[in-house]
Amino acid sequence: MSVRRAVVRLRAVVGLALAQLRRSPGRTALTVLAVTLAVLSVTVLASLGVGVVEKGEQGLDNADRDIWISRSPVDPAASGTENPIVGAHGVAADLTARDDISSASPIAMYDVYVGSSPSDLERRPAVGVPETHDRFDFQAGHGFDLTEGAATSPPPDDPQRRELVLDPRVADALGVGVGDTVYIGTSRQTATANEFTVIGISDYYSQYMGSPTLTVPLGDLQAVAGTSGTDRATFVTADVADDADHDAVAADIGEEYPEYDVRTSDSQVQSMLGERTAVLASGATLVGLAVLGGIILTANLFALVAHQQRAELAALRAVGLSRGLLAGTIGTQGLVIGLLGGVLAVAATPLAVIGLNRFSASVFGFERLLRTPPEIYAGGFALALVAGTIVALVAGWRAGRYARIDHLEA
Amino acid sequence: MFNRSAQDSRSSAIEADSRESTTAVRLEGVTHQYGSGGGRLRSSDERTVTALRDVSFDVPMGSILGLEGPSGSGKSTILHAVAGLLVPTDGNVLLCGTDLTALSDAERTRMRRRHIGIVFQRFHLLPSLSARANVALPLVQAGISRSDRRARATALLEAVGLGDRSTHLPGELSGGERQRVAIARALSTDPDVIVADEPTGELDTATGADVLELLTDIGRDRAVVVASHDATTLSVADRVITLRDGQVDDVR
Repeated sequence: MSVRRAVVRLRAVVGLALAQLRRSPGRTALTVLAVTLAVLSVTVLASLGVGVVEKGEQGLDNADRDIWISRSPVDPAASGTENPIVGAHGVAADLTARDDISSASPIAMYDVYVGSSPSDLERRPAVGVPETHDRFDFQAGHGFDLTEGAATSPPPDDPQRRELVLDPRVADALGVGVGDTVYIGTSRQTATANEFTVIGISDYYSQYMGSPTLTVPLGDLQAVAGTSGTDRATFVTADVADDADHDAVAADIGEEYPEYDVRTSDSQVQSMLGERTAVLASGATLVGLAVLGGIILTANLFALVAHQQRAELAALRAVGLSRGLLAGTIGTQGLVIGLLGGVLAVAATPLAVIGLNRFSASVFGFERLLRTPPEIYAGGFALALVAGTIVALVAGWRAGRYARIDHLEA
Repeated sequence: MFNRSAQDSRSSAIEADSRESTTAVRLEGVTHQYGSGGGRLRSSDERTVTALRDVSFDVPMGSILGLEGPSGSGKSTILHAVAGLLVPTDGNVLLCGTDLTALSDAERTRMRRRHIGIVFQRFHLLPSLSARANVALPLVQAGISRSDRRARATALLEAVGLGDRSTHLPGELSGGERQRVAIARALSTDPDVIVADEPTGELDTATGADVLELLTDIGRDRAVVVASHDATTLSVADRVITLRDGQVDDVR
């Protein structure tokens, strides 16, 4: 077959396909809409998957720490009851003394009772940190910054500052604001004895912990929990000196502290994700099902399109057009519908992501849970285009087989 | 009006004379059972329906053969067999000397494209295409350029009296006009054989007469096989075969 003939046929196939699509604008619009929804489900679910992973990474990145030391794989969203590192300030002091470490500090996590009166307490996660850094983005009030050396000095037996930062939803639930007094303890009994002042409102650690969280000066939280003596913490985090290699430093510290798990920020994320295999598998399954569902939906659509055109296809076959040409006609319709559906889905994805992120932020407290890198847009568009065309070609080829003259008698 | 040498300069008068003297279509002992490979009945269905029993006839070039008989007598099955749209269970179907039963589906499609034009009772024009585009459609497969396709389609539409309707969609045409477009489409590849299934079945008497006149013109240098219940339609035929229960009952 000469190139000229092929071009002539190609142009005719495209013209025929476009004419068929124009003939039933309602059906065409519905088919495009169905492809759009199929692709949108894929891009939104993929955005959710990426968002969950990036959220974890960002949580660690925002903590601005290069190395994370723990006693066992720690799930930071597991309500913070694990504090397996003993003598945490001592470990931080030893690390800070190293040339390849610029600073180190412990982080403790506890479940505490908190309330505006000793008789009205509710259970919330609390994080003990040496300071509230500039990423806290306070809605009201301010944070705290412990005195220099507090991160490496043994904690006091009693709370010293008696200040804390509340998540806005906790503040609303308790009916308190900046300057008000709250009671906090690891049991209802100890809470009556510990009065703290609310100095700021921020949900920074809530995004990291997965639920509305209190942020408390580290030593005060240890004192409230009664672990000042053993100086327990969940993590000891460290900043690596500018010229030092993170992996090498982590490996070196790991040899020095074989009883601890020493990880870089990246491997800590992987470890946490590894702890959530079921969640990840569920997410991957959802995305896989979305892709599969999208392809099946598209396949059904084009099988229907071919079925609806069976009499016309049979007539074309009867007048001598080949199965390849018929498949090309349906395939081109699939390409055009995939193109339109892909463009619409790509255009609708940011809107859906913004809407779902607002919903997620208002209901669950997760800011920007869904994230859509360019690869997701490209993948969604490619899925619409490739799946639409291939599925339509197959449907057209099959239709060419059953497009017999029987269909012309009806 | 439809002299083939006038339509296609490639056809010489000698070739036309040669065609007139040859047999365009020959059926030799054709038997067909649906449900035994013909495909209409599922394999799980034990019933078979014998649509044709040992049917034989010739259609010379330049003649019109009429097929009559009650519904289910086998008229359409013969048309399908002649057009290569089905392969009979037994017997041979020769189209311009080539046995269609020995060919693959793709080869039969090529034979149909080259030698057969089909006119349906219900026209089966593509509603999304203009009359001219419908007529030009069979030429797409041959890779004929758009301008040549348009020129040939326009000439054929003028020949069937629809020169001023070439840009109209089928939905904008009357039944008779649609059938004339369908006839022009059947002629677009300059086939040797025209197969027409109830070509006037959807038309009123006056319009049907116009279509029959067209078929008569076409039959001067082609073979035409026309199936119909209608005696007026069959009156244009040089020979009429009456079918009953899939068998030839009478030839006149």
